[in-house]
Amino acid sequence: MLGPQRPETSVKQAMETLSFSGPIVSITAGWRDTEGEIEDLQADIGHPIEDLMIYHRAEEIFAREHELRALQRERQDQLLELQRLYRMRLTPAMQAARNLLRDQGLPDLLRLEQRAAISQVRALDRHHVARIASIHRQFDERRAALDIPTATAQRDQVLEKVANAGLILIAGGHVAVLLNRMRLFRLSDSLLNKPVIAWSAGAMVLGERIVLFHDDAPQGERDAEVLDAGLGIVHKLIPLPHAKSRLDWSSRTRMALFSRRFAPAACCTLDSGSMIRIESGRIVSAVASSVMTRSGHRKELLPA
Amino acid sequence: MNPVIENLYRDGVPDKAAVDAFVSANSFPLVEPGNVTFVYRGYAEEVILRRWISGLSTAQPLQQLEGSDLWALTMELPELSRFEYKFELLRDGARHLVVDPLNGVLAHDPFGANSVCQGYGYKRPAWTLHDGEARSGELTKFQLQSQVFEESRSVHVYLPARFRRNRTYPLLVLHDGLDYLRYADLKIVLDNLIHRLEIPAMIVALTQPQDRIREYACDLRHARFVSEELLAAVSEKYPLIDDPAARCLAGASLGAVAALHAASRYPNQFGRLLLQSGSFAFSDLGHHKKGPLFDPVVRFVNEYRSSPFALAEKIYISCGIYESLIYENRSLVPLLQAQGMQINFEEARDAHNWENWRDRLRQGLTWLFPGPLWMVYE
Repeated sequence: MLGPQRPETSVKQAMETLSFSGPIVSITAGWRDTEGEIEDLQADIGHPIEDLMIYHRAEEIFAREHELRALQRERQDQLLELQRLYRMRLTPAMQAARNLLRDQGLPDLLRLEQRAAISQVRALDRHHVARIASIHRQFDERRAALDIPTATAQRDQVLEKVANAGLILIAGGHVAVLLNRMRLFRLSDSLLNKPVIAWSAGAMVLGERIVLFHDDAPQGERDAEVLDAGLGIVHKLIPLPHAKSRLDWSSRTRMALFSRRFAPAACCTLDSGSMIRIESGRIVSAVASSVMTRSGHRKELLPA
Repeated sequence: MNPVIENLYRDGVPDKAAVDAFVSANSFPLVEPGNVTFVYRGYAEEVILRRWISGLSTAQPLQQLEGSDLWALTMELPELSRFEYKFELLRDGARHLVVDPLNGVLAHDPFGANSVCQGYGYKRPAWTLHDGEARSGELTKFQLQSQVFEESRSVHVYLPARFRRNRTYPLLVLHDGLDYLRYADLKIVLDNLIHRLEIPAMIVALTQPQDRIREYACDLRHARFVSEELLAAVSEKYPLIDDPAARCLAGASLGAVAALHAASRYPNQFGRLLLQSGSFAFSDLGHHKKGPLFDPVVRFVNEYRSSPFALAEKIYISCGIYESLIYENRSLVPLLQAQGMQINFEEARDAHNWENWRDRLRQGLTWLFPGPLWMVYE
């Protein structure tokens, strides 16, 4: 897992730590309409890359297959609405938890109330992920009932390219679009035993949960939100790209709540130059990445 | 008296070396929570602070400090304030307006440079400063043969970094666009806000009038120029999102009047308006006192106030508390809101100047055009 590739690039450096043979393929669906514009990336790593073009492939399929497009639209509308409803519950729950974490009351009484408030937020996050999973299940069932040979053929082509690849690169970008396209092409299983280099949003989708966050948004700070479950390839780790500019480390309360809300997953920063290497589910090395502590501080991320 | 000056005089009248040390050890004006002290050093018969703050006298004398060539004036100034000023010096019977020689912070406008007083807590926003990581957009221009003005007009255009012809973009049309570039660091602001994903990549058409006072004062030719000719020309040359919600008309001072007036003649052609310190002069009773140049403006604003209607979906309005126009702008807000438009009104402890308008661009643009920062992690 790498941080953003600006101002420093680190994909080439990461490649040098991996042994792989076979072609390199990339997934740049998060770039949406500029998907596949990988000239700079190829020049940087000095290897040819084939982009899987899953964003455009899906757009082409949707343009032809109206039923599938309607089904996809329906799911997206449901997810948007569910996120809005989740936010309505999340905002007061987070405010209560923050207030309790800042309170100076009797420690013995307060501690239990703080725990209870954080548990409520955690329960809400779990509930949200479960509701989203149910929407995805319904979509998958209805989609399975549609016989769409072109979609199946496209998916098989993509899966074959991944199967033959020696290395998969997953770029950042729009995290929801990236996740959606990777799900549509059922890429999670095929990535399990492959060397993967993923950065920013690419790293976010590999985890068990995708957490959206920005403490310095121009129209006021927002609470971090769970967007969805990720592909579940990397466990107990929540990557936080652009942490330097997005996290307000000066607020211990915010950081402590962030950390305790998602524990036991480690909330790890991914800034430009960060590199976390994971093998068999274990962090084997980490460079320029910090992990949030329960008290809202940061400490260097160390191999497990 | 300011404690730093008090300290200078603690052991009596300071000698030249002590004054030299005082001047080199401090930055000026001397700023404390709640007040500011202006200091001038040098020969003069009189030193006057000339400032542009509505509600206060525009001139206030500095007092010469005993036994030295230092002059000082302490005035109340709320935190986060910012305003521009000059010193007026009387020397040998002649008066000269000069920037504060002890203050290196200057602001520029079409009339020259002013010294800037930054009150306690004011900090220039980081997003107004050059960021090496932000990709740079491009400035280009084209000639537009205007039928309404019967002449060729230059239109400068900002194209965002990574501009692609196969994508479509929102459009911002900015009155006095070249002044925004020169005096409000517009290009840096756009590059930074786009880089931070706080606004979407957008195209900005920068217009500059030939006869500002006439064209911007509710001239129907101008309304037609921006809403028909300019929009058509930019749409033909560049890939724009064809939706009023993706079009914004903007301006400051009389430029804001021009934007509001054009929007009133072409409602919802632009779904977004950004109006900074608009000179929305009106009269409730009797004749206004703004001078004949404002007659058409007052006529238009009076007409709109008596028969208001929805002009756009969202309007961002900003105004400085230290400008007289705060009254006109505050008066306009409830009227616009009552028409069902979404209004975001921001007041700042600043005056009628380009840096005030610069400092408000983030709030205005990100509200009118929220960027994808919540979902995009590049």
